[in-house]
Amino acid sequence: MKRFLIFVVFVLILGSVAYFALNRTDSSDGTAPAIAGAPATADVLARGEYLAKAADCTACHTVPGSGKPFAGGVAFRLPFGTIYSSNITADAQTGIGSWSDDDFVRAVREGVRKDGKRLYPAFPYISYTQLSRSDVLAIKAYLFSLPKISQPDQPNALGFPFNQRWAMGFWNAAFFKSQRFVADASKSPQWNSGAYLAGALGHCAECHTPRNVGFGLEHGNELAGEVLQGWRAYNITSDTAHGIGAWSDGEIASYLSTGHADGRGSASGPMGEAVDNSLQYLMPEDTNALVTYLRSVPARAGKDPITIDAKAAPALASNDTAPGGDSADANSAGLKLFESACASCHQWNGQGQETPYASLLGTRGVNDTKGANVTQVILHGSRMRLGGHDVFMPAFGRAYSDTEVAALANYVIAHFGNKQGTVTPDAVAQSRKL
Amino acid sequence: MLSLSVNGESHSVDVPADMPLLWVLRDVIGLTGTKFGCGIAQCGACTVHLDGQPVRSCVLPVGSIGDKTITTIEAIGNTPSGQQIQQAWLDVDVVQCGYCQSGQIMSAAALLKRSPNPSDADIDAAMSGNICRCGTYVRIRAAIKQAATGKLDILQTIVTSPEGSAS
Repeated sequence: MKRFLIFVVFVLILGSVAYFALNRTDSSDGTAPAIAGAPATADVLARGEYLAKAADCTACHTVPGSGKPFAGGVAFRLPFGTIYSSNITADAQTGIGSWSDDDFVRAVREGVRKDGKRLYPAFPYISYTQLSRSDVLAIKAYLFSLPKISQPDQPNALGFPFNQRWAMGFWNAAFFKSQRFVADASKSPQWNSGAYLAGALGHCAECHTPRNVGFGLEHGNELAGEVLQGWRAYNITSDTAHGIGAWSDGEIASYLSTGHADGRGSASGPMGEAVDNSLQYLMPEDTNALVTYLRSVPARAGKDPITIDAKAAPALASNDTAPGGDSADANSAGLKLFESACASCHQWNGQGQETPYASLLGTRGVNDTKGANVTQVILHGSRMRLGGHDVFMPAFGRAYSDTEVAALANYVIAHFGNKQGTVTPDAVAQSRKL
Repeated sequence: MLSLSVNGESHSVDVPADMPLLWVLRDVIGLTGTKFGCGIAQCGACTVHLDGQPVRSCVLPVGSIGDKTITTIEAIGNTPSGQQIQQAWLDVDVVQCGYCQSGQIMSAAALLKRSPNPSDADIDAAMSGNICRCGTYVRIRAAIKQAATGKLDILQTIVTSPEGSAS
C-alpha cells in the first residue's frame, strides 16, 4: 500500500512537471518578416487595420449584417456544443476596454483571458502565437480606435466536461506550443512573408489542416484538407492531383484575391467569407508571398482525395443550352431540378453565363463524390462582396426537400464531375443543421 | 460611361458597372417591356438575348457585357424566329395576365433559332426556367410547336373584333 502511494505521488509529480514543461510560454516579443501592406514605418492604426484584416478578426467577431463590428456573438456549432465569440471592442464593461497591452498579448498568443481563464481553441491562438508583439499591439490599437459597443457576451452552450475551461490546459499541453514565428534564412524573404501571412495571420491551417481525434492539428499533414461545419476546406498542398500543385501562380493569386480562378473554382461558404473579409484586401505583393509559400507546402493526398475530371464527358457532350451525354438511367429528378433552377446561369456545359463565378467544370466541388460543398451551396447559396459588387447565388434550402437536394447534388456530380455522387437525403438533413 | 448595343442602337449609359442590365434597360434606357420578377434569376421574366443567347438580365452586371449585342422583347419581332413565335403566340392566344410573357417569348425565340423543330424534351429543357403563375404552359408548348411546324394542333383564337368596330 505504501509503495502504491509513493507510486501515485511520483506519477503526480511527473505529470505536473510535464504539464508545466509543455505549457511553457515563449516570453520573446518575436519579429515579423516584412509585410508589404503593413510596413514598420506606417502609422500604427493603418498597420493595425491591415493586420486585423489579414488575420480576419471580423469573420468570427462580427455577426454579418448586424452593424456591430467586433462586438462578438457569432455562433460556432462544434461537435461538442456551441461557442459564441466575444466582444472585442474597447467597451470597458462588455468588451476588452479594461485590458492592458500585456492582457491582450497574452490572450492572442497564449489563449488566456484577462481573468486568467483559458480560451477555447476556436479562437486561433495556436496560429496567432507566432505573431510579433508589435503586430498584436498594432491590432489592439486599431480595435481600440473603433467605436465602443456595449453588448454582453453570450454564454457558451457546452456540456460537461467541455465547459471546464481549466481542462484546456491539458489540451494545450498536448496540442499547443507557444512559439513566435521563426524565419527560415535558407528561404527567400518573400517565402518568409508568405509563411507568416498563412501561418500566423491568415491561420489557414485552422480549416485546411486535418484534425486528430483530440481535435488538435495533425502535424505532418499540414493543409491537406478537412471538413468543418459541413464545409470541405480543400487540400491546398502542392500535390498536383489532389492539391493546388497544378494551378499556375496567377490562378492561385486570382483565387485568393477575387475568390475565383477560371477552370479551378470559386470560393463560397467560409472561404468566400475569408476572401470577402480578408484576402481581397491584401496588397499584390502579399498575395504573391502567400502563393510562394503555398507552392512550397509538401504534397499530400489528404483524406478522401478528390480527383478532378476537367473534361467530364456528359458536360462536354452538352452545349450551353441543352443537356447531352447523361447516361440513359441518369437521375431524372436531378436533371429536372437542374433544368428549372440551375441551367440558366450555370449552363449544361458548366461554363457559366452571367458571371464566371458560375462556372462548374474542373472545380473540386463537383468532383467530390460526397458532395459536401455542392450540398452546402445548394442549401445556403453563396454571397461575397468584392470591391463594391456582389457575387451571389440564391439559397434553395427552403425550396427543396432533402430528397430533392440530394438528387440535384448527385446529378451535378455525375454531369460535371463524371462520377457517382453519394449524397443521401440524411446527409442533406445533417448539412441543414449546420 | 458604358456603351451598350441594344436592339441595334448604341446607347451610352452612365451607371455603375455592377448595376444589373435589367435596371439599365428599364430605368435608364426606358425599355420597360422586359419585366422584373424575382430578382434572383429563378423566374425568367427578365430574359433578354445577349448575342442571341437567353440570359437573365436581373443578375447580369452591365459591366460584364462588353460589346455583345443585346436584344429585348421590343425588337425580337425583327428576327425570323421572334416573328414566328409572336405570330403563334397571337394565333394560339397564349397570354393570360401577360407578366411573364416577355421572358417566355425571348426563351422560345432563342430555342426556335437554335433548334427549328424542337421535341417536347427540347421545349422542356429550354422553357423550364420560365415560370408562369397563370399556368399557360400547355398553350406555350403548343405555340412553340405551331411556330416550328405551322401545324395547328390546338384551338386558335376565335374572338376577333367585329367588322366596323373601333380597334
